Amino acid sequence: MMTERERSRQELIDFLRTIQRADYAQAVIDEESGLVESGLIDSLALLQIVTYLEQTYDVDFTERGIDPEDLRSVNSILDLIARESTS
Amino acid sequence: MNLIALRTAYRNISQFHENTRLIAWLSGQAWVIWLTPERRKSVLFCGAIIAGAVGVFSRNAKWRDYRALTPWLEHGLAFLILLGFLFALYRAAVGFKQLPTIVRHRPQICFHLIFWLLLALLWFFAASEGFVIAVLSVILLSFPYLIWRAGYMLLSGQRGKAQNSRFRDHLFYIWPIWDGTNTPPGKGHDYLSRTMAQTPDSYARTILGGLKLLFLVALWKIVLELIGVLIYGDPKSPLSALFHDYTFGLPRVKQILGRQLALPLVQVWFSLYLELVWETLSLAAKGHVWVGVIRLFGFNIFRNTYKPLLAQTVVEFWNRYYYYFKELMMESFFLPIYARYFRNSPMLRLVAAVFAAAFVGNMYYHLLQHKEQLVAGDWHRLWSLLGARLIYCALLAAGIAISMLRQQRERSRLPSAQAGSARSKLRSLRRIACVWTFFAVINFWNVVAPLTISERARLFFTLFGL
Repeated sequence: MMTERERSRQELIDFLRTIQRADYAQAVIDEESGLVESGLIDSLALLQIVTYLEQTYDVDFTERGIDPEDLRSVNSILDLIARESTS
Repeated sequence: MNLIALRTAYRNISQFHENTRLIAWLSGQAWVIWLTPERRKSVLFCGAIIAGAVGVFSRNAKWRDYRALTPWLEHGLAFLILLGFLFALYRAAVGFKQLPTIVRHRPQICFHLIFWLLLALLWFFAASEGFVIAVLSVILLSFPYLIWRAGYMLLSGQRGKAQNSRFRDHLFYIWPIWDGTNTPPGKGHDYLSRTMAQTPDSYARTILGGLKLLFLVALWKIVLELIGVLIYGDPKSPLSALFHDYTFGLPRVKQILGRQLALPLVQVWFSLYLELVWETLSLAAKGHVWVGVIRLFGFNIFRNTYKPLLAQTVVEFWNRYYYYFKELMMESFFLPIYARYFRNSPMLRLVAAVFAAAFVGNMYYHLLQHKEQLVAGDWHRLWSLLGARLIYCALLAAGIAISMLRQQRERSRLPSAQAGSARSKLRSLRRIACVWTFFAVINFWNVVAPLTISERARLFFTLFGL
């Protein structure tokens, strides 16, 4: 049975596939490496991740602000989702 | 020697910072091993205290003023008050959750309001003069330098990352010993902690990365000297005696504007493009010094300028031209607006955030930069210095917004020509030329010149034969 984090990870990776750079050649997304640094997405796509998190997980950035560090990698985004769902 | 051997030799020299034998040798040196992260932080902390004190004493007065006792007292007290104020801000960052709701929601605005309230107080009582007013003036003259750096400390508190930090961890970037710009290269504690080399091996790599940048500084300075003497005919250049007879004598844009020179259009355009190259190289040289020195202390941070002249979009240029200024505008203006407003309208949300950063933030930053005029309340002078910049910032913001929207639209499209093909290279060149043209043209509004906006506008239209 899938855990909450695994389901979030799968959904997130599916979403990242929809916004990835057209010329990105890797078949597998490394969950630890930086999304922008690895060339998967451009820095602008981070804004689409913000919208995704707001709409899918009701993450509210109003008080805490957007920390680019939280959006650095798949794992850091999953950590953010986990933090927000427990708070 | 064939071409491949030459290329390999060039790569070995230019990428010396990645040479594993050199890294192994350096990481084995006693001083590299001795300078652990904690010791490096201590060195920086002591340096920051000394540099901060020297900064407060020297930036706002000449050394000959200190023959009397009063300036010592004024600047000494201002220094202690500033240090105390920074400590209070640090405590606020550490205990961010305990702050009143209004401060928690808008920490940066509250912080800047303190500055403006003090400024209003100074303007109100300016006529009375005296010891307190003099101390307040020194504090306010130092504020623009500290305000953005301390802003990063508050941001760290807002993001819940300041709890385990010490005051000294923040002080060395708030009162840095490596630069004099109001923009904090290396941002704040969060970014610096993440990039700090922890082992002798990674420290050695970072030192070599820093040395490479310092070598590049020397290279760009030589190129700038050559442009200065060969193209601009700069009489102050140390090379002018050597190349005196070979100069092209092209005027700088500020000379064209200042003297309203009537030159052939081709020369004016050439001057505009060259100004862009000149400013990019100058900024790269300055930024490489800041980042190079920071890297010598073991922080493997991004370059401030990274090949902006090869950027193919306006937003890419802005990202690469002055990275730490762009980051400051992003974190202080873009992201807060993006997080808070127009969430149901993606396009409006993006455009509002871009204008907040590239127009409002950019103008505000430059307003604070003219601290003497600001403290004196000399609005007339401020307008003459910044009026044309309003148009520059508006054009910049519009360009970035359009570029971002286009990039978003194009992201999912497959490249129409294969990378590396002649067609693709031609398209890249065309895009680079467009980016150069955009920035060369808007820079016309950024160059300081004693002109009114309407005089400048008249000259601007002549660029297009109007």
